[in-house]
Amino acid sequence: MNDGLDLRHDVLDAQLVDRNRESIGRCDTVLVELREGRPPRVATVLIGGAVRDERIGGWMAGLARLVRGGRDRSGGVSRIPFAAMQSIGETIQLDVLRDELPSEHVERWLADHIVCRIPGAQGKQELQKR
Amino acid sequence: MKKWGEVALGVVTSMGGFLEVGSIATSIQAGAAFGFQLAWAIALGTISLAILMEMTGRLAAVSGRSYVDLLREHLGVRFFVLPLVAVMIPSFLVLVSEIGGVSIALQIATGVAFRWWAIPVALLGWLLLWRGTFKIVENGTAVLGLVSLVFLAAVLVMKPDWSAVGAGLLPSAPEHDRANYWYIAVSILGASISPYLYLFYSAGALEDGWTIKYLNVNRITAGVGNFFGGGLSLMVLLCAAMVLMPRNIQADAYEQISLVLASPLGRDGFALFLFTLCITCFGATVEITLACAYLVAQGLGWPWSENMRPARDARFATTYTIVIALAAIPIVLGTDPLELTNISMVVSAASLPVTVIPLLVLMNDERVMTRHSNGWLGNTALVLISLMAIVLFFAAVPLRWFGGA
Repeated sequence: MNDGLDLRHDVLDAQLVDRNRESIGRCDTVLVELREGRPPRVATVLIGGAVRDERIGGWMAGLARLVRGGRDRSGGVSRIPFAAMQSIGETIQLDVLRDELPSEHVERWLADHIVCRIPGAQGKQELQKR
Repeated sequence: MKKWGEVALGVVTSMGGFLEVGSIATSIQAGAAFGFQLAWAIALGTISLAILMEMTGRLAAVSGRSYVDLLREHLGVRFFVLPLVAVMIPSFLVLVSEIGGVSIALQIATGVAFRWWAIPVALLGWLLLWRGTFKIVENGTAVLGLVSLVFLAAVLVMKPDWSAVGAGLLPSAPEHDRANYWYIAVSILGASISPYLYLFYSAGALEDGWTIKYLNVNRITAGVGNFFGGGLSLMVLLCAAMVLMPRNIQADAYEQISLVLASPLGRDGFALFLFTLCITCFGATVEITLACAYLVAQGLGWPWSENMRPARDARFATTYTIVIALAAIPIVLGTDPLELTNISMVVSAASLPVTVIPLLVLMNDERVMTRHSNGWLGNTALVLISLMAIVLFFAAVPLRWFGGA
């Protein structure tokens, strides 16, 4: 544990939170950057349905393509540089804002177009999670 | 002192929330067909559930994470698809059955066909989720669910032969209808140990802000609460054994099942049974809907909490909205609620290995559990439950085929 970060155990599939500790999905995959003449380095954390489906398997990616009528989903993938990592504990905190991430566009769209139009969506403020 | 209040509340919650469409229907079918003889299945199911709840609750209190969260993180997204599907399908079927249970109670009470009740019931459940907080969902339905104590009252009125009840607590082979006997046993186990129950419990521990200081609260809630809950389930079986079996009433329709309290308590008993069915199934409707949304949101890392306003966890709120809306459809279309309940319990039993066996891994991972990982006793119990789950997986469908008729 003390001699480094176990990417598979500590990073992959870990819960990610933003600067304000809001959940922003899970680490769906990690990219290693190959650099000419220099050692490779862990470069990017990816979040998004498209990469997740690829990891589950070809069948899942195919199914997702079928459901979405062949439309490209790579626009919904967030690529966050490893340098943005602020802390690793129960969750991994990244120095980003939830509202700026492409992988959060479904959340934003649902909130703006559906959920907030239903009465009571802004209710129960006084009972927020501790 | 505040803790004791929470302990009491936790026990009431587990007890009041224990009975629902599956446990009521399967206990009554067991009592009507086999008297006290299947009491052991309720005991076995209840003890197993209590152990699974204690563990998933301990997991949440120690790690600050839900069971689903840890499943995804430690076993990876590829594996996670399996529990996702294996929990979603039975939970959805049970959810439809619960909506059916409320609707059929309302049909018998009002004469308006159950199909018409599905949408109002789903709408009311949704409204509670949309506007309510976790405490309201958890405690409101549980306190109302205490009406199920009426079964205890009925048993005390009828004065069963307690030594015969005791004999039923030990497993024994049936003299007639063997396939049906084992089929009902599997159904009872499926009803007692539904996966949504412990997933909901572990998420609920976080909603209530449990920390490592709550290990004792967890132990008592899971142990004592389920003991009383399973006790109520047993009372339902005893009522059916003493009321339906001597009169040769087959419990194959809710109209007949509803008579279970009519003999000891008269007209009031009939009304109280319908009220109990209605309330307990409604409570379960809301909890299962929430459990489905927890499962998806925690697995994919979305923001989730019944205590947040829907605008702040839009995907979570949308998920429970879709789930409860879809679950109303089969009842609107006229699916027979009792038939569906029976199928759901079997599917539920068959799905257990996928969520029970990984618990063995997580409860022994010291990076997760620190010094609160399982001891030899816990591991032995969990291995036995896993073996039982594997047997149920293979036996459930064939028994439905041969014993369900």
